[in-house]
Amino acid sequence: MPKIIIDNQEIECRDGVNVLQAALEAGMEIPHYCYHPGLKVVASCRLCLMEMQMPHPKTQEMGWVPKLFPSCQTPVRDGMICRFDSDTVKQNQANCMEFFLLNHPLDCPVCDQAGECHLQDYSYHFGHAESRMVDQKLKTPKKDIGPRTLLYSDRCVMCTRCVRFTEEISGTHELCMVNRGSRAEIDVFSGHPLDNPLQGNVVDICPVGCLLDKDFLFKRRVWELNGTSSVCPGCATGCSIRVDQADNHVYRLKPRFNPKVNDWWMCDEGRFGSDYVHDAKRISSPIVRRGLDETTPAWEDMPEILRFRFEEHVREHSGESVVAMLSPFMSCEEGWLLIKFIREIAPNATLAMGPVPMAGEDQSFPAGANGDAVKFTILKEKCPNRKGIEQLIASAGGNTLSFEEFVGQCTEGKFSAGWVVGGYPNEWVDKATAKIASKFQLLVVQDLFENALMAGAAVVLPACAWVEREGSFMNAAGLVQPFERAVQPPDGARHDGQYLYEIAGYTGLYSGERVRELMAESKADLSVAYEAPCKPVHAH
Amino acid sequence: MATFEPVLLRNVGVEGARTLKVYESRGGYQAVRKALGMSPDEVVEIVKEANLRGRGGAGFPAGVKWSFLPKDRTHTLLCVNADESEPPTFCNRVLMESDPHQLIEGTIISAYATQSQIAYIYMRGEFHEQFHILQKAIDEAYAAGYLGKNIFNGDFSLEIYIHRGAGAYVCGEETGLIESLEGKRGWPRIKPPFPAVEGLFRRPTVVNNVETLSCVPHIIERGADWFTGIGPSHSVGPKLFCISGPVNKPGCYEAAMGITVRELIERDDMGGGMAPGKRVKAVFPGGVSMGVLSAEELDMKMDFDDPRNYSLLGLGTAAAVVIDQDTDMRIVLRNMARFYGTESCGQCTQCREGTAWMHKIATRIAAGAGRLEDLDLLLETARNMGMMPGLSICGLSDGATYPIETIVKKFRSELEEAIRSQPAGRVDRVLQVLN
Repeated sequence: MPKIIIDNQEIECRDGVNVLQAALEAGMEIPHYCYHPGLKVVASCRLCLMEMQMPHPKTQEMGWVPKLFPSCQTPVRDGMICRFDSDTVKQNQANCMEFFLLNHPLDCPVCDQAGECHLQDYSYHFGHAESRMVDQKLKTPKKDIGPRTLLYSDRCVMCTRCVRFTEEISGTHELCMVNRGSRAEIDVFSGHPLDNPLQGNVVDICPVGCLLDKDFLFKRRVWELNGTSSVCPGCATGCSIRVDQADNHVYRLKPRFNPKVNDWWMCDEGRFGSDYVHDAKRISSPIVRRGLDETTPAWEDMPEILRFRFEEHVREHSGESVVAMLSPFMSCEEGWLLIKFIREIAPNATLAMGPVPMAGEDQSFPAGANGDAVKFTILKEKCPNRKGIEQLIASAGGNTLSFEEFVGQCTEGKFSAGWVVGGYPNEWVDKATAKIASKFQLLVVQDLFENALMAGAAVVLPACAWVEREGSFMNAAGLVQPFERAVQPPDGARHDGQYLYEIAGYTGLYSGERVRELMAESKADLSVAYEAPCKPVHAH
Repeated sequence: MATFEPVLLRNVGVEGARTLKVYESRGGYQAVRKALGMSPDEVVEIVKEANLRGRGGAGFPAGVKWSFLPKDRTHTLLCVNADESEPPTFCNRVLMESDPHQLIEGTIISAYATQSQIAYIYMRGEFHEQFHILQKAIDEAYAAGYLGKNIFNGDFSLEIYIHRGAGAYVCGEETGLIESLEGKRGWPRIKPPFPAVEGLFRRPTVVNNVETLSCVPHIIERGADWFTGIGPSHSVGPKLFCISGPVNKPGCYEAAMGITVRELIERDDMGGGMAPGKRVKAVFPGGVSMGVLSAEELDMKMDFDDPRNYSLLGLGTAAAVVIDQDTDMRIVLRNMARFYGTESCGQCTQCREGTAWMHKIATRIAAGAGRLEDLDLLLETARNMGMMPGLSICGLSDGATYPIETIVKKFRSELEEAIRSQPAGRVDRVLQVLN
């Protein structure tokens, strides 16, 4: 590991990084726009320039070179001495900030980026308070460049991150530069809007308010949002994300850096796929039926009711008549708790895997890449935890079924008591599956939305969306990532983990970490892959 | 001063000099035969010895540039910079339209020295006639077996292609030229890697100016000593000088370096003195990017070193444009600022925003709504764009600041007087309209 000195401070850095990256990782704030660790270095914003010591060509004495070097383009070398705290460097930063803001409309009060804008931050930290330009500002247009994105070119700093993203990551090349000099603008070719499955990332990497998300436009000031670490349930890739919410409403999802999964990116399908969370048709209260009697019991009574009904059934029939269908939308913890409950009541109960939604084919990016060149993949398996639930079922052993076998054996009337977990954002009960409801005497259905099984169910439990829960998902690569609760469930509902925790016989508040400890105690192999969230290697 | 015998321009004015036949009859294509008899390294050594400094503006020794090429390279590409986009410069144009075979010969020798099998001539888009003349000469050379496979029946092969630019100033910068040749925006590249290591199509590449390459056949033919015997020791070899503006004989002239600007204007075999009724007020002696000289500074020597003593950037393209006493310096200032404002490629912040800002200020001053503090603002903006080396990727930013800075510094009293004589309240009215 090379050691370098920046501003008289010795820092240890990773091999092969550049000085800017090393400084950022050491917690220093170095202004930069065009540099992004996920994209090629262009060194064009000239904001991260630094001074460096080099041996004098004649005397070989080390001294400051009267020249500025782009720190984003200068690789670290052991023993290197650089500085950002000299007057020259600071002067250049201030000059750059003045230049960036010459033609900027200064419309922060109506700009979505305000609050997380690096023009604001850098101008405050490194710039001048006033512009000295008295002449007319250059006015460049606001453009609608795609179905989901707007481009306000008057706010642009020409860092070209977005252009490089479409070249290097999505490989779709929609964005380009037009015109020259200060009249240069980012644009799309006419008839080819910015419309690719990863396009939302250009809004994330835009350091200023130039690229804007239509979905979030004018919805909320960013300083009112609270971010929560989460994992995207959209597909089995399981991108690390951040859920930004305010007043119990999810406003946007942003990718969170994770080199093992998604780097800095996420796809649009995941990014804009959370609308169902706030759907008014969500089930919010439990229903318990006995004969013609239908009640909504208090949540406190639910564990006892369910335990009683199942125990009663096992007594009257047999343990073998009990089945539980687990959903790939459940967290590992919830799956484990439900299995624990079912197998305690009936040790020879059958465990089944719910349907795994598939759509199309896996999509790799940059478009057309394969092997090591692949930078991002959207999987066709549209659920977050198929692998985790399958492992839990396998590890529980005993009778296990696939979804097709489950529907088949139910139709044959093999089971009379069952617990079916949904949690799918879309309709998942097909005609054949709907028919199995009549075969059960005791059917518990746990789902987000009403489905065809519920009419015949003895107990209906509202399920919660992943942002309302806490737990962990295992992605297709076998990586287990925890996610935190961002918002509260709808009024009347209770998050799945809590009631399953109580039903499984525990008391107190559910916590994902506590359940993971319990899982580890019960079976060591369930805890090995647990992955702590990683520290971002980049400031913005 | 001893009479100077033209070297580069020796065929200018000769009937049919553009044809292979006439060129050969005047001693053409002898140097290339001689060079092909030597090893490539020997040719490089001779050019190094001759201390042939690049004629394009920066003055970097061509032989040294060639020796930067990695030893173990397999492919090398040679680019001939015929973009000639610096305002008042037209010496390459004269070379290409009057004596195209001289350039072709120089290109073959240089390609041989650098072991390039392909040479691209990147030609300014506006050169229509010159393109056809040069293409015709290239076709002739192909037909004679001087280009193509196994030229002069030897082992060396060379293809020459002319690529025509689309009119951007910045494509005259060597890496901007390379990007443009690759079909991209003419954005200068960040270095390292330098073109000699990774240039055009990621191959080791050498980029040389037309005039530089035109010197090469003569160096091979007459030897390095002959070349270094011309002109002062730091600036050797024949050099083309352009002169334009209100002089009696504007044009392109050849001389040894070290002649003064005054000589260039006054000498009968050069500018021939100022046009009747005109006096020199200012001269941009090296293409506009190098900065301006006042009428008192005409004794500046046109070589690689002396311009620095007059706070100019360098010799540049050695193309002088004379400004007469009837020209308002505010108009000159605006014209300069406009050029760089429209020609900045827009990559580096300082250059992109600075040039446009200076253009706005200069336009306002020229329109009679200047403020005295605008002059300081211009100087400071210029300083902020080029206060230290390394501020921008290429040299355009420095080139943009020198004319502005030198005009403001050397003609400050005139500009101030013009600003003071503006009608009262005009600035306020104009600013009100603008904002």
